Amino acid sequence: MAEPANQASTQPRLQLAPSGGPAASVPGASDPARPGLSQQQWASQKKAQVRAFPRAKKLEKLGVFSACKANDSCKCNGWKNPHPPTAARMELQQQAASLTEPCRSCSHALADHVSHLENVSEDEMNRLLGMVVDVENLFMSVHKEEDTDTKQVYFYLFKLLRKCILQMGKPLVEGSLGSPPFEKPNIEQGVLNFVQYKFSHLAPKERQTMFELSKMFLLCLNYWKLETPSQYRQRVQKDDSSAYKVDYTRWLCYCHVPQSNDSLPRYETTQVFGRSLLKSIFTVTRRQLLEKFRVEKDKLPPEKRTLILTHFPKFLSMLEEEIYGENSPIWDADFTMPASEGAQMGHQTVLSPMAVSGSPSFAKSVSSGGSSLGSMGLDAAVTEPITGEKRKLPEALTLEDAKRIRVMGDIPMELVNEVMMTITDPAAMLGPETSLLSANAARDETARLEEKRGIIEFHVIGNSLSQKSNKKILMWLVGLQNVFSHQLPRMPKEYITRLVFDPKHKTLALIKDGRVIGGICFRMFPTQGFTEIVFCAVTSNEQVKGYGTHLMNHLKEYHIKHSILYFLTYADEYAIGYFKKQGFSKDIKVPKSRYLGYIKDYEGATLMECELNPRIPYTELSHIIKRQKEIIKKLIERKQSQIRKVYPGLTCFKEGVRQIPVESIPGIRETGWKPSAKEKSKEMKDPDLLYNILKNLLAQIKVRLCTMVNMILYKIYFTHPDAWPFMEPVKKSEAPDYYEIIRFPIDLKTMTERLKNRYYVTKKLFIADLQRIITNCREYNPPDSEYCKCANTLEKFFYFKLKEGGLIDK
Amino acid sequence: MACQLTGYRSGTMALVSADTKIAELLTELHQLIKQTQEERSRSEHNLLNIQKTHERMQTENKTSPYYRTKLRGLYTTAKADAEAECSILRHALDKIADIKSLLEERRIAAKMAGVYSDSDPPRKTMRRGVLMTLLQQSAMTLPLWIGKPGDSPPPLCGAIPANSDYVAKQGDKVAARVKAVDGDEQWILAEVVSYNHSTNKYEVDDIDEEGKERHTLSRRRIIPLPQWKANPETDPEALFSKDQLVLALYPQTTCFYRALIHTPPHRPQDDYSVLFEDTSYADGYSPPLNVAQRYVVACKENKKK
Repeated sequence: MAEPANQASTQPRLQLAPSGGPAASVPGASDPARPGLSQQQWASQKKAQVRAFPRAKKLEKLGVFSACKANDSCKCNGWKNPHPPTAARMELQQQAASLTEPCRSCSHALADHVSHLENVSEDEMNRLLGMVVDVENLFMSVHKEEDTDTKQVYFYLFKLLRKCILQMGKPLVEGSLGSPPFEKPNIEQGVLNFVQYKFSHLAPKERQTMFELSKMFLLCLNYWKLETPSQYRQRVQKDDSSAYKVDYTRWLCYCHVPQSNDSLPRYETTQVFGRSLLKSIFTVTRRQLLEKFRVEKDKLPPEKRTLILTHFPKFLSMLEEEIYGENSPIWDADFTMPASEGAQMGHQTVLSPMAVSGSPSFAKSVSSGGSSLGSMGLDAAVTEPITGEKRKLPEALTLEDAKRIRVMGDIPMELVNEVMMTITDPAAMLGPETSLLSANAARDETARLEEKRGIIEFHVIGNSLSQKSNKKILMWLVGLQNVFSHQLPRMPKEYITRLVFDPKHKTLALIKDGRVIGGICFRMFPTQGFTEIVFCAVTSNEQVKGYGTHLMNHLKEYHIKHSILYFLTYADEYAIGYFKKQGFSKDIKVPKSRYLGYIKDYEGATLMECELNPRIPYTELSHIIKRQKEIIKKLIERKQSQIRKVYPGLTCFKEGVRQIPVESIPGIRETGWKPSAKEKSKEMKDPDLLYNILKNLLAQIKVRLCTMVNMILYKIYFTHPDAWPFMEPVKKSEAPDYYEIIRFPIDLKTMTERLKNRYYVTKKLFIADLQRIITNCREYNPPDSEYCKCANTLEKFFYFKLKEGGLIDK
Repeated sequence: MACQLTGYRSGTMALVSADTKIAELLTELHQLIKQTQEERSRSEHNLLNIQKTHERMQTENKTSPYYRTKLRGLYTTAKADAEAECSILRHALDKIADIKSLLEERRIAAKMAGVYSDSDPPRKTMRRGVLMTLLQQSAMTLPLWIGKPGDSPPPLCGAIPANSDYVAKQGDKVAARVKAVDGDEQWILAEVVSYNHSTNKYEVDDIDEEGKERHTLSRRRIIPLPQWKANPETDPEALFSKDQLVLALYPQTTCFYRALIHTPPHRPQDDYSVLFEDTSYADGYSPPLNVAQRYVVACKENKKK
């Protein structure tokens, strides 16, 4: 990413020393991290000098900028020395003019000009004198400046300060510029968010490095001279230069000039401007910065040199993506750090994603930055975002703050690093790569490895009518056309050809050994905010290698880069399974008006949609999850080795229960886990009350069932006295194949046991088990059997009783 | 139920004993490899001697009886050395075969007992991609047949078919001709469960849907897969030749299709390159695709369907 050296000569001259004052005479600052500092020093030196003048000389100096008050008719707005000094800086040598000295222009005495200063305090005098120095500087600047826009602003400021001296007022930039801050979040906030967002998963030392880089970048920006609006216009050649001009003027008035001109209130560029200014200046500033560092690398202290030369270019490139990327989260007003802030220690920390995340961005998307992480991982709440209170980044975030936030309620980074070491055991890397063959390997694991080794490549290609396509691209397009027409025999070949070669369509091609072995043809509709997946295929002898998944993941990342976050496609019956695995659903969120008339409609196909999350690095996702799982497993193992009490594991999942509330896990409370406020409110009944209700209900059902069995099933009952339907587990001797057909058997006896074991901590669990009795019965028995009839009656009774007990609404 | 329980127990016990047995065999194998190296360094000296003698003879430009006798002696020793090394290597190969068969036994026992390890999960939970990799790996590790000089390759080595009375063992992989639901006949990759000698029928499991799809098939619907690779360098006659009609496993599937040999392998680790019959291509054949020796068998029916 480093700029080639030969480009530097074409770049505008680097202007580190602000040209806002007569600072040209000051040697340039040698520390690039603090450019322009000496300019400020120069001005303050000058002010100190003036302030040390005897009062008479001060009055003379102020008189120059003070209106004559001899009479109302005198319009003279400043005393002019009748004996003008021959050199500009002769004040020191010259004696102070006497108060009786007449003005060169109005002939009134100096005393008439400074009469208003008679009773003014020394401090105020000094303040005014500071403005005088600044006015003088600005006067010089106006004359020196060649850029008209800048000149105008200097002149405006010059007049403003003069007026303030006259009226003894405080300078206030007025007009349409608005007042700082001009945008929120400001640049500093955004850049610090960026560091959090991109680097918080790094080891502390590296994180520190990145943090230092960001600080340096911000510091540079604060002292950087922006390009003038006319330079900007030339470079960008777009109409938005008026917006830049406004920002530029703001910057001159509030940030740049005040640096050397302390009569004006000063703001830091990075604190009053936001993303829009950074967008306008970043490209140029980055180039200039890198060039500057390159040129001055010998002057840098050695430890800084490596930091800057090795990490800074990459840092800036990553930042660039976030500045120009449409969906970068770092500019969100409520950007929340992925770090969790759970108050509870112990068990829940194990599940905190931040500490174990291979990518903080992903962790965020899962946890939604919630504070109630305790319910994650084991509870149903995983799918629904947990809306806990969010922690905003403090206004000025220091590294110490960042560290502290990370650690609160989270696993210490040291522990995580330690665990990371154990799972990336170098010994495990030896030997043949059997890990690849693991049955648990992610679907796209092989493909990802092959891409890393250069066995396969991915390219987005397309035909173009305006420029001559290169031969290789055309060959690949033909290859794609062949793959699609072989794999999609129901599509007419001509149709495939037309679309693959249509310049509006693009194709993500999968290349192996220089040949096309698969691809996804798509059409982007940026104005409609979606992309249509047109064809998607992998040649038959390369299938089930994870290429299809990896292709789609690449396509997702490509679209995130291009800020399109929805895929739409008409999937035929064979493709639905594939698209489901790739995160597509039949639930369409894009409004019909946006795609109707744009997307190609296929008869008999199902419209499917996939919504992309710009924070997920899709091609790495399965890898990240695998790592997270490994780390969590290790952390759990560690925790287990510390805990004395051992509970038997949960068996309910094997029995087909899909989810249970966290609080029902034996021993979980002893680890310090507490249900979050939201969870509590959800289950309004207190556990004992619920227990009693359910107990009562179960008893009623049993009684009802006995009478029903007597009435309806008496035949069965008499012939098979053992078969007490629903009451006890089905015996294998009665129905030998029962357990092959019914995966999750359940019966009232088992339910009674579960109730006793306090398993039914929510009504949901209880109702699910009841319903399963019915569905199991219907699955195993023919619909017109006595059993099913019995189940029907029983079901009605269940729901009647549930309603009666207030356990369900309708 | 009780029967199943004992099955499980003996299965577990078999696993344990197989484990220790394998560990022993691995130690022996390790010893043999070390021995091979010792043998090599020992014979090094003699080989060097032969070379030097030849050089000396060349500089002297005559073959004196002294040299003749000397060389004869040296070559006899070298031959004996080579034979010794060869026998150690064969011994090592036998050990590898033993280990493999133990692993196979263990796999079958585990399958019967319903005990699965992480490295060999039940097929139902296995992703297809994983199954495909396992199949490729099994093709890659198929042993190469190394005969003694003068031996001709045995049945089930490369293209050489099994004897007519051959009965495939439990766990062996075979190509099996099954009737699909739609009535079409298809050659699938299957694993032998049992053979009934009275009915002469095999019971086989579809490799794809283990346990779910069990087929009972007559002998002629079963083609055992090769158990050794044939070495193209030493036994080219045990390979299918160009343009021969075969049944080959279509890459990344578990089905055998008719194909013509495009090029036979040149080296032991090479695959066949075959052209599958495919009507979707203009000339009726697919472009050349690679199939391992393990998954290429003779095609009995010569006429197209």
